[in-house]
Amino acid sequence: MLARATARALAPLGHITDVLMRGHDARHALQEGGFDLVLLDLGLPDVEGLELLRELRSRGDNTPVLILTARDSVDDRVRGLDLGADDYLAKPFQIAELEARVRALLRRSQQRTSDALCLGTLHFNIRTVSATLDGAALELPRRELHLLESLLSQAGQLVTRETLEARLFGFDAVGPNALDVYVSRLRKRLEGHGLRIRTVRGLGYLLEEFTP
Amino acid sequence: MIVIEQSLRRRLLLWLAAVTLVFGVALLIEAYVSARRAADRTFDGLLDSASLTIGEAIQWQDGKPLVAMPSAALQILATPSQERVFYALFGANGETVTANAALPISDAMRRAAHAGPVYADITHDSVRLRIEGREIDSAGWETREPVQIWVAHTRGGREALIRALMERAALRFIVMALLAAALVWLAVRTSLAPLERIRQLLRARTPDDLRPLAVSVPLELKELVIALDQLLERQRASHDRLMRFIADASHQLKTPLAGLQSTSELALRSTDAADWHQALVEVNHGARRSARLAQQLLSLARLDHRHDEAFVVLDLVTLARARLIDWIGRAASQAHDLGFDGPNQPVMVRAIAWQLEEFLNNALDNALRYTPPDSAITVGVVTTAQQVTLFVEDDGAGVDEALLPRLAMPFERAGRQDTTGSGLGLAIAASVATHHNAELAITRAGVGGLRVALHFKRERLL
Amino acid sequence: MKATLLGLWLMWLSAHACAATTLVINAALDRDVVAPLLDAFSHANPDIELIYHDGSTLEVERQLQAGTRQSADIVLSSAMPWQLAAVNANRAQALDIPEAAEWPAWAKWRDEVFGFTFEPIVIAYRLELAHAMRPPETHRDVLALLHAHRTLLRGRVTTYSPERSGVGYTLFQQDARYSPRFWDLVAALGAADVSLEATSRNMLEGLSAGRYWLGYNLLGSYALVWAREHPDIIVQVPSDYSLVLMRMAFVTRDAPHPEAARRFMAFLLGHAGQHVMAGQTPLFSVRPDVTGPYTAQRLRDQVGDHLYPIPIDASLLAFVDPLRRDAFMARWLRELKILDDGTTTQ
Repeated sequence: MLARATARALAPLGHITDVLMRGHDARHALQEGGFDLVLLDLGLPDVEGLELLRELRSRGDNTPVLILTARDSVDDRVRGLDLGADDYLAKPFQIAELEARVRALLRRSQQRTSDALCLGTLHFNIRTVSATLDGAALELPRRELHLLESLLSQAGQLVTRETLEARLFGFDAVGPNALDVYVSRLRKRLEGHGLRIRTVRGLGYLLEEFTP
Repeated sequence: MIVIEQSLRRRLLLWLAAVTLVFGVALLIEAYVSARRAADRTFDGLLDSASLTIGEAIQWQDGKPLVAMPSAALQILATPSQERVFYALFGANGETVTANAALPISDAMRRAAHAGPVYADITHDSVRLRIEGREIDSAGWETREPVQIWVAHTRGGREALIRALMERAALRFIVMALLAAALVWLAVRTSLAPLERIRQLLRARTPDDLRPLAVSVPLELKELVIALDQLLERQRASHDRLMRFIADASHQLKTPLAGLQSTSELALRSTDAADWHQALVEVNHGARRSARLAQQLLSLARLDHRHDEAFVVLDLVTLARARLIDWIGRAASQAHDLGFDGPNQPVMVRAIAWQLEEFLNNALDNALRYTPPDSAITVGVVTTAQQVTLFVEDDGAGVDEALLPRLAMPFERAGRQDTTGSGLGLAIAASVATHHNAELAITRAGVGGLRVALHFKRERLL
Repeated sequence: MKATLLGLWLMWLSAHACAATTLVINAALDRDVVAPLLDAFSHANPDIELIYHDGSTLEVERQLQAGTRQSADIVLSSAMPWQLAAVNANRAQALDIPEAAEWPAWAKWRDEVFGFTFEPIVIAYRLELAHAMRPPETHRDVLALLHAHRTLLRGRVTTYSPERSGVGYTLFQQDARYSPRFWDLVAALGAADVSLEATSRNMLEGLSAGRYWLGYNLLGSYALVWAREHPDIIVQVPSDYSLVLMRMAFVTRDAPHPEAARRFMAFLLGHAGQHVMAGQTPLFSVRPDVTGPYTAQRLRDQVGDHLYPIPIDASLLAFVDPLRRDAFMARWLRELKILDDGTTTQ
């Protein structure tokens, strides 16, 4: 039922889903290859899910893997991430959560193969260091462009203040509020385009799609 | 695991045997020494009499001592044990006056006899003899010269007496040892009887009979019975708690399930798509609630029933940040203002990582559920000289001060029944606190909402 | 042929068995007196060859001390003090046979030496004496007769020589212990020109020959037998007190034939030996359960309870003390001449 629900949830996003209920079949399918994303349930009946992941990675296959587990213990999580899983999701989860994770994973995987960083209507060309928003060129000062690139490259994920400051200012001594100033300028530019920069107090920022 | 050691009775008897052996040997040695002394005292008296009798028979003739050896003296010397008897008389210049044997009397012994009677054990003709020497100043008409009288006899009578005394001592001792052994045996039997009573009482119990023991026991066993009663009391409390928990849990699970059932049944009866949609929204809501409840129940059960996990030293800041980052990615946190408040350097504590994560998950989940959108939720680590605090606070509506203490009890929502919470989150937090010997403080936050904090005592730190 | 050879073989075997072991006995006891005893033993124990050395009491003692005679297994002697001294000097071994254990305590010492006969000391006189005067019944009577019939009895009195006879010496020592008037008796004997003999047999022969009329301190065992064959001799057990002499036997410590020695002692102290002694020798048996003409019990029945056995205990040792012996002998000689001097001065 979970598999069926999942497949149905992912279909509207334009994905084609193969559901393999047994580890044995999954192994064969993985050996065939050609998947953009693997949702791996660790509770497969006949094969240890982590074993499949290990096999996949040992073949040099970098297909993103999202682990679904009922056991949200640290051990399983850490082992899974160690073996090369890209993210995990503990059962039970909300479909929306799954969708978000799948989207993020696919985006990152695509970025590995193209020069473009995209989020909603925002496009960023890494080679030319230029951005467009809703098709219109987004004219930004250099530091704001760097900030955008940093946030966009890890869209939906937190980018720490330390990372951003190092990226923007290098070793230059700047005031504690310098980053906040750039962030609030960038935030204004993105306002009203289904995107927002969220502040996580004490940690950093993250860029995400936003529907008010 | 129960390790069966040696039997108490056997151990006590072994101890008794060892003590008896040591004391017995000492006692027998003492008995032998005193028996020998007594025998020597008795028989030496006879030596005295014999030598004095001989002394009286000394007469002087022509400047020489003359002795008509008195039969009585020899008979005294022989004693009723028919000892073999020996005597030797020496003149002033050491010459032999008369003797019936060449006794090995050293010069030292002769010199000692000047001062007074001398007693000694000697060996003559490969037979052990007891000898006495004394000097008699005899008064004669012409001379006044001392004569030394040495008398000796075999030790048969003495040995027989010593043997008899020893046998009696040994017999007394054996009787005493046997009595002591019997007493110990009896004592062990009677003093183990209360234990046996307790054993039978415990064995006769049904598994759910956890009443205190009603048994009369000696003072020495008081502590044991109290400890047993306390154990039973704890078991009873835990049992009661569990029963209550199960009752609550089933009630809590039943409610959303019943909702699911009735909602879906109503929807199936209807043909209106709008009704269906409404029903599905409710079903979705109930399913989520049930799922979350099940997860939390599992968490709590896991916390309550795993006591063998190893504590490791971990960095509280890293752990808290990682948890927070994880939550930022979740859809549930999209509408809230999350933040971290803590030092930039690691804060090490001895802890069980998954339990602290469980604490943060539940506290964050609670905060997200019970506060309106755009509320600020802060995860933080504070260190002071006395303690380290891991906390989650929000600036929501908070909880009435009077209800704060009840929040940590299972299924207690402090009046916030309107939300999708299960009421187990803070119970989990309390359990984590107990495991870490930390204090769970649920207070009003300075910013207005609720603050859930774990205070670790400093001694838990490294 | 075969049969003859076999017969010879058997004969040799039995002859050999007869002399399987020897037993050496040193004794101060006339062989003809104890012959029935020795014969009975040999008969019962054909495998033991008896070697029997006879001698006077003092000879036996001297041999024992010097060790000149081939070492004996058993020493028999009536010289009680010397026997006891030998035992005291560790020259005997304890006897652990039932017969020894059952032996009356007054007749043994340390289970090593045993008094195996019971011989009263008696007075013997010729019939002529009875015709001339009232015959003596007690020691006092002897003293009185010697005083009253001094001239008639002069030269006709005999007794033991304490110098030449160990038995005599012992008896006189014992007499001296019992009565302070003993020395009066010695003086009277001296005055009667007493003849000192070494053995009871010599005294009895003198009496029979008519040389002596009165004999003092004779061994009853000899005298009674002698009187039966010589009707002119009358034996009187003193009625005031009668010393009883016991012959003593012990197994030497280094006995070459200890097993044979034990068997001999078992025989000597046992019912069989004592029975032979009581019936066929004048050596009175000590055992109360033995019947016969010569038993201690019968003697007691006849003469009453004034039998004084010389005690077998350490007091005997005093008699062999050389100083005491010298003193005794010196006094003996002095007392013997006291009245002589008196008559010459008179």
